[in-house]
Amino acid sequence: MLKKPCGTFDETYAQDMSVIRTPYRGGLLILLFLFLFVITPLIADNYALGVMNLIGISVIAMMGLNILTGYCGQISIGHVAFIAVGAYTSSILSQHLGWPFWATFPSAILVSGLMGMVIGLPTLRIKGFYIAISTLAFHYIIVWAILHGGDLTKGVWGLPCEFPELFGISFNTEKKMYYLIMILAVIGTVLAFNLVRSKFGRGFVAVRDNDIAAEFMGLNIFRLKSIAFIICAMYAGAAGSLYAHYLGMITVEQFPLIDSIWYLGFLIVGGLGSISGAIFGVVFYRLIAQIVLFAAPMISEALPFLSVSGVAGFTQMLFGLVIILFLVLEPRGAIHRWQLTLTSFRLWPFPY
Amino acid sequence: MEFFLQLVVSGFLTGSVYALMALGIVIIYKASSVFNFAHGSIVAFAGYLMWHLLVNLQLSFFFSVLISLVVIAVISFLIQRFILYPLTGQSVLTIIMATLALAEVFSGFITLFWPGPARTYPKFLPSSVFQLGTVFITSEELVNFAICVVAFIIFMFFFRKSKLGLTMRGTAEDHQLARSEGVKVDRIFVLAWFIAIVMAGIGGFLMAHMHGVNQEPLIAMGMKSLTVVILGGMESILGAVIGGLAIGLLEALGAGYLDPLVGGGVEDVFPFIILLAVLLIKPYGLFGYKRIERV
Repeated sequence: MLKKPCGTFDETYAQDMSVIRTPYRGGLLILLFLFLFVITPLIADNYALGVMNLIGISVIAMMGLNILTGYCGQISIGHVAFIAVGAYTSSILSQHLGWPFWATFPSAILVSGLMGMVIGLPTLRIKGFYIAISTLAFHYIIVWAILHGGDLTKGVWGLPCEFPELFGISFNTEKKMYYLIMILAVIGTVLAFNLVRSKFGRGFVAVRDNDIAAEFMGLNIFRLKSIAFIICAMYAGAAGSLYAHYLGMITVEQFPLIDSIWYLGFLIVGGLGSISGAIFGVVFYRLIAQIVLFAAPMISEALPFLSVSGVAGFTQMLFGLVIILFLVLEPRGAIHRWQLTLTSFRLWPFPY
Repeated sequence: MEFFLQLVVSGFLTGSVYALMALGIVIIYKASSVFNFAHGSIVAFAGYLMWHLLVNLQLSFFFSVLISLVVIAVISFLIQRFILYPLTGQSVLTIIMATLALAEVFSGFITLFWPGPARTYPKFLPSSVFQLGTVFITSEELVNFAICVVAFIIFMFFFRKSKLGLTMRGTAEDHQLARSEGVKVDRIFVLAWFIAIVMAGIGGFLMAHMHGVNQEPLIAMGMKSLTVVILGGMESILGAVIGGLAIGLLEALGAGYLDPLVGGGVEDVFPFIILLAVLLIKPYGLFGYKRIERV
């Protein structure tokens, strides 16, 4: 696969390992930063900022799932359960004990990570869809625990959660929250990007491609799989904590199983095992949801026999069909198609 | 003791429905090694379709069943031809994701066209309560159980004696070998999906007859029957039946004795706790084949 344009040669090790290899890429990154931190807060209204906030939180969650599923090859249908663990940990700590954000956020990550370790335990003996089903079981157990948590989780009524407060600033508006979420999302992305280039990241890829062969190469695959689960759960915990503090009120209905399916599905749509693919998947997912939301009145006008709640069904069908289409037509995701397009442009007019 | 017996009986009767649904999953897995997460949604779809034909369009029972069978056959063909056939040889993740997405398409369809509360069927089974000693059984539960037993016996014979059943088992063993013997593998897959959905559809229909068609409980049942399949072993029909009865029994007992202690809802979560235990202790189930992998 051609990753660099013609004429870009690495002459030192530092160059070989650098992230920004061409001036074009550096420029793109600066543009992205300008867009995220200068342009969007200036021009976007509260609604758009809200959408961006959701995207930011989902990006953090998706980074974790990408490491577990995209890089390490373990399937998780319980991702939203980890997010719920993070959210509820944050809420419980801030509501019952009055802890501030700087304490609840790391605690949520920690508790979620511990859960990830527990769920990672069966990986010692099982793989493939057995893992998928054990994470599914985890989801149902967590939902049940939340519903029957008594005073701790307040069952179906849900739990309020304070707005975050850091260095004397209260993040109580969409715009302030936007900066917090985006900074954390960028940090999370950079960490994930560096993790997958590290020893662990290469180990994950080896386990994904063939775990028996990886074991022969001297990798401790149980340890690697457990670490992948823990990291995935920690990312989800961070996302959940942010989500709880951002919304100010969480109930168990905000963590349905279907969201786990969308996370996994849109990770595939974006491109497994690729950071930019994961981000693309999230943005694509949230944007389609917004478009459907705007198109909903038109749909119900055109097809009057459908009820209002039918729009939810329409979204569900649409997402499902998009995922199936991608699976059948481009199982390696949109990012793969994008790279093919780039390559063909670079080589033009030659075929290869 | 009376309480215990009542729990055992009702657990067995619920378990028979799990067994029917799990049989469907096992049949699909045996034929095409696809693990079907969409089972609950497709069964719910079949249930709603029956309701639509029976109640909304006022068709007779016979015609409703006939039309439902045709629709299920068409769906099986479409799933096989346009989704699973192109995915042959892809990774486990791709197959799982495909069936998950399929589940969402079906449940989205239900939400779109039949939103709102549960639908009830007109009663056509006699509804009465029997008393066996100190235990009460409703006639619907008995019919349900009888149908499960009959279906199980038919399928044992189908897979052991009939030519088609043997062909399906052969196909499950080795696609290429089956193909070289002149078996139309694609058709076998479609047939497997058809049989599986019909089987589970019967179970779903009987459940719906008792409690009304509702999307969420049926999907949850589909998910629980996944645990049945894991407990019984992926490849075993006998395992699906025994696992179904065991899970139904454990669920009823767990709900009966633990509900007062933890405040209800144990039957929603108990199968999954059993599942985690099974995965840790005996990951290939009671009757499953141990997988041997080569690099």
